[in-house]
Amino acid sequence: MRGKLLQLLMQTSDTFVSGQEISERLGISRTAVWKHIEELRKNGYELEAVPRKGYRLVHTPNHVTKAEIEAVLSTNRLGKNIVYKGEVTSTQALAHDLARSGAEEGTIVVADEQREGKGRLGREWHSPPGTGLWCSLILRPDVPPQNAPQLTLLTAVAVTEAIKEATSIDASIKWPNDILIDQKKTAGILTEMQSEPDRVQAVIIGMGINVNQQMEHFPDELLSVATSLSISSNQQTYSRAQVIAVILQRLEHWYDEYLKNGFTKVKQQWEKLSVTIGKEITATTVQKTIRGVAKGITEDGVLMLRKPDGDIEHIYSADIH
Amino acid sequence: MYKVNEIKELIRALDNSSIGELEIRGENKEKITIRKEGTAQAAVVQAAPQPPAAAPAPAAQAPAPQAQANPQGSQEAASAPEAPQESPAASDDSFEKITSPMVGTFYRAPSPDAGPYVKEGDKVNDDSVVCIVEAMKLMNELEAEISGEIVEVLVENGELVEYGQPLFLVKPA
Repeated sequence: MRGKLLQLLMQTSDTFVSGQEISERLGISRTAVWKHIEELRKNGYELEAVPRKGYRLVHTPNHVTKAEIEAVLSTNRLGKNIVYKGEVTSTQALAHDLARSGAEEGTIVVADEQREGKGRLGREWHSPPGTGLWCSLILRPDVPPQNAPQLTLLTAVAVTEAIKEATSIDASIKWPNDILIDQKKTAGILTEMQSEPDRVQAVIIGMGINVNQQMEHFPDELLSVATSLSISSNQQTYSRAQVIAVILQRLEHWYDEYLKNGFTKVKQQWEKLSVTIGKEITATTVQKTIRGVAKGITEDGVLMLRKPDGDIEHIYSADIH
Repeated sequence: MYKVNEIKELIRALDNSSIGELEIRGENKEKITIRKEGTAQAAVVQAAPQPPAAAPAPAAQAPAPQAQANPQGSQEAASAPEAPQESPAASDDSFEKITSPMVGTFYRAPSPDAGPYVKEGDKVNDDSVVCIVEAMKLMNELEAEISGEIVEVLVENGELVEYGQPLFLVKPA
């Protein structure tokens, strides 16, 4: 209900909307309207109220609550069940629990702050409050487990397109799914799977997107490698709810395409947005370091690296530099 | 120390894979290298210094590798490899195997600094996490899906594993 009220207030923010009209359009009493408005004010929304004219929304705090996202979301499935937490250990851990207890496909956990945001192989993901988007989306695709890694490249395509749509910034993809702006990381994607040998139970896509951080928000060791949408665009600030809504829309588009027609089109779009292909790179794995030219990706998203001796090495997991 | 049957299984896994060479170092310093060449005879198994009986026999039985003869084929092998087929003698019947549901990198621990999820001698039950297999930054935490004792860890940390490849031998409870 709060989401619908916000949506209505946002749509009418250039004029006034009366309590009576809100009451009729949302099917709730005048008293309930008043209570919801008071609740919004407590949460940092500024509303102008003029007798006989009604309410006008003049300022929206940059929250990523359920209501805030619902007010701007236009998907059919993804994000239809939003679980918002002000502070959480990690959205990924909570999403795992929800998935195990049967949460429906499209459920997304969003937090304002993660105390222990997770990266790959136990690395930390810096997730301070009020700045970025820290979220985990639950999908339940009917594909064999060995195809599920394709979804990580799909997510990278969706996030890159969404950044362009929401902010006009050109971002690009480093294999398999780091999102870079000017060679610095602005978003990371970590995906985990719950599976049986022949069946995917849940794929949990964790996304960390640096949206409104300024330089001083990053610890020193990240300054040379990390950036945010705001830093990349002369300190503009972006509505985090708007950004996640657009990400979910692009994800739904590509996910539908993937379930219907497979990975081919996703792969083509990934190749278009990638900065890795054609470059001379170093791939560091747990066991070794390999140098070579990134020749392309396979139909599964595996990186093909041409080594100096001409042999092609298939890379499934590595840090790429 | 590797049994002949285990080496046979490794060879099969390699044949079904896109990788050309597999080197394994065991706890007793024995080293096994399995390399895929262009001809049937050239699949080489070197086992040194310990298991003397293990070396020559499986090499002769190794099927002709397909990867080099047909580069396209090697990609397909990577994307949808068949599960290694069990021969009747392939394992000790009293042990069960935990196999990989996908191609990817095998990790014994959640992070490089952490201890392994399980080691030989550990008891596991259905939902004990035993390892992670990663591909394209998708991490799959495998559960044992069996109750029993880990008899042997068949794969080294950081190694590429194939679809259907045995990762652990488990003595059922």
